[in-house]
Amino acid sequence: MKTAILHKAGTPWLIAKRLAAVPLVLLGLSTMVFIAMRLLPGSPATSLAAGGASGNSSAAEITENAEKINAALGLDKSLPEQYFSFLGDLLTLDLGTSFYGGNSITALLGEALPATIELTVAAMLIAVLIGMLTGIVAALRKDTWIDTTTRAIGTVSFSLPWFALGVLSIVIFGVWLRWLPVIGRLPNELDYQPFTNFVLLDAIFQDRPELILPWLEHLLLPAVTLALSMAGFITRIVRASVLEVLGDDFVRTARMKGLSGGTILRRHVLRNSSLPIVTVLGLQFGSLLGGSVITETVFSYPGVGNLLINGILQRDYPIVQGAALAIALLFTLVNVVVDLLYLALDPRLRKA
Amino acid sequence: MSEALLEIRGLTVGFDVPGGRLPAVAGIDLTLGKGEILALVGESGSGKSALSMSLVGLNRGPRTHIGGEVLFGGRDLVGAGEKELREVRGKDIAVVFQDALAALNPTQRVGDQVAEMIRTHRRISKRNASKRAEELLGEVGIANPGQAARAYPHQLSGGMRQRVMIAIGLANDPAVLIADEPTTALDVTIQAQVLRLLKRLQRDHGTTIVLITHDLGVVAEVADRVAVMYAGRIIEQGTRDEVLFDPQHPYTMGLLSSVPRVDGPAVSRLPAIAGSPLTGVARPDGCAFAPRCTFVHEACQKQTPPLQRRYAGEAHLDACVLDEAGRARARGALEEVAQ
Ligand SMILES: Nc1ncnc2c1ncn2[C@@H]1O[C@H](COP(=O)(O)OP(=O)(O)OP(=O)(O)O)[C@@H](O)[C@H]1O
Ligand SMILES: [Mg+2]
Repeated sequence: MKTAILHKAGTPWLIAKRLAAVPLVLLGLSTMVFIAMRLLPGSPATSLAAGGASGNSSAAEITENAEKINAALGLDKSLPEQYFSFLGDLLTLDLGTSFYGGNSITALLGEALPATIELTVAAMLIAVLIGMLTGIVAALRKDTWIDTTTRAIGTVSFSLPWFALGVLSIVIFGVWLRWLPVIGRLPNELDYQPFTNFVLLDAIFQDRPELILPWLEHLLLPAVTLALSMAGFITRIVRASVLEVLGDDFVRTARMKGLSGGTILRRHVLRNSSLPIVTVLGLQFGSLLGGSVITETVFSYPGVGNLLINGILQRDYPIVQGAALAIALLFTLVNVVVDLLYLALDPRLRKA
Repeated sequence: MSEALLEIRGLTVGFDVPGGRLPAVAGIDLTLGKGEILALVGESGSGKSALSMSLVGLNRGPRTHIGGEVLFGGRDLVGAGEKELREVRGKDIAVVFQDALAALNPTQRVGDQVAEMIRTHRRISKRNASKRAEELLGEVGIANPGQAARAYPHQLSGGMRQRVMIAIGLANDPAVLIADEPTTALDVTIQAQVLRLLKRLQRDHGTTIVLITHDLGVVAEVADRVAVMYAGRIIEQGTRDEVLFDPQHPYTMGLLSSVPRVDGPAVSRLPAIAGSPLTGVARPDGCAFAPRCTFVHEACQKQTPPLQRRYAGEAHLDACVLDEAGRARARGALEEVAQ
């Protein structure tokens, strides 16, 4: 279906359409988050007032404080008023400030988003590497014990919940074996002056190669945790699509030419079976982002997911709205990239 | 027949299917002469593709069992290992497949697909292989070969794609070219052009061509010899004129009477061969055509009649136990139907 739609539209047109849809998606999403947050029981004011008051403050004091806070945060206005001022700010790319620290949301996201991108990209790379290798091997050894075992492991890892996997890896590698750090993104004692907030880039720009190893050590466990379930899924898709392409007529043509099995796989099979794989990667990236929220929380990893969870717990509306927007933006952009990859991989989808 | 180039002896091809082993090719002896065009005809499922693919092991696989011998250039291709076969494939023996759209890689430029065939068997630079590929595309009658070489298969017409397929087949000037229904998907004009192209190849390069087809019109146009297959066996074989004008086997007679005749009335050609061929795993004793044959008698069911010279010319073989009088009656009866 996707291919049929793509086929009708020309390439630039298609990309323009996808990009034009991005603001609409983001608007819809922010509206939903705006409403959902205000439907949640509890309000920022009461949690702030309760938290700020000394242990023996009375209920009346809390209510009084809460009203003051509401006025200060603009939460005493009507919902439509709040909504339109939120939209107005959004148009000027002002995401507001945190109810708690008063930090600018843009600044918070500027730190958290690169961390999340590092985590999800690393997870994606690991998942693709494992998934492709196992999927290809399973397809080539179809119906042997290698195939059966690979598929069984893939299915199991696909059905493992992130939370359980995260906790398990913390216990095994962090607590028992003590091989790897399990908290945060870099050791506290390390002096890191973020510039781009991408550790790898900063290590290069600032000529500080010593940042890389601790960064990788911190990244490894959460990334693998996040990658495993996706890898299991990719294994299945790769196996199925490689098997399908292996049965195609042009593979027989390649054999007729006298090519070796390895060349046929590299030159003819993989390119053609990558289409369904790329589609799946785009779709799975959504659930990967969902998983990163959980994984970041489990590993106290300072990413957008962590920000989001804390924002929800504290009813810090601007943080939740900003974090949700950032995640949605990331998802949409990845899917635009997927569409471009599609066009690069399959000439049939390009319009002359 | 000219000097022998490839000799098939007792070839069998069996496919493991649910319920047993399907004898797609049930014992075939056939010799290909140098530079001839041999037409392989027969209904769908008679084993034409299974036979020709097994010559270079293209249908090898865990569920395929190939037996017998294929002698070519002093070796047996059935017993040869994959590595040895790879040197024969595409260089000495090439195949042109029926559905060119499916047989070409959709993500690779057409010129690269031709060049790949060249580079697999020759030490030649990428640039020179591309140049040669373009030349080949021109040779098979593509008007603008430079442009076609840069196109992807889906951007070409059906006729052009089939020519590309033929260009790939020719790339290394093979001794044998197997063309598996190369014109079925094409309209009549293009079909005629492709056939002329094959004929020219045979003449200019001395290429031996195995032409698989359902179409007896095609046979009449280009073939030197004809082998008629039925249920995995050859049931009649001879020169084109022998088989077309003096058919010996009732099955061949039936096939011929089902061909629209230019000189005859157009109405009458229909109920040629009633029933359908054997396609199952079980093959009862006797002639496989017997259940559908109007002239069947006791002897037909006893044992499978061997392919041999019976009542016709020296190289005209058939596998029918009917005597001369019986054959004349059969011919007469079928002609009556056709009238
Ligand atoms: N890979 C396979 N596995 C199982 N059965 C097969 C396989 N390939 C062919 N067959 C069967 O073998 C028989 C002969 O098939 P083959 O393709 O050789 O017929 P054909 O004469 O080429 O027919 P057509 O004119 O339709 O191409 C058929 O019954 C077919 O179903
Ligand atoms: Mg066939």
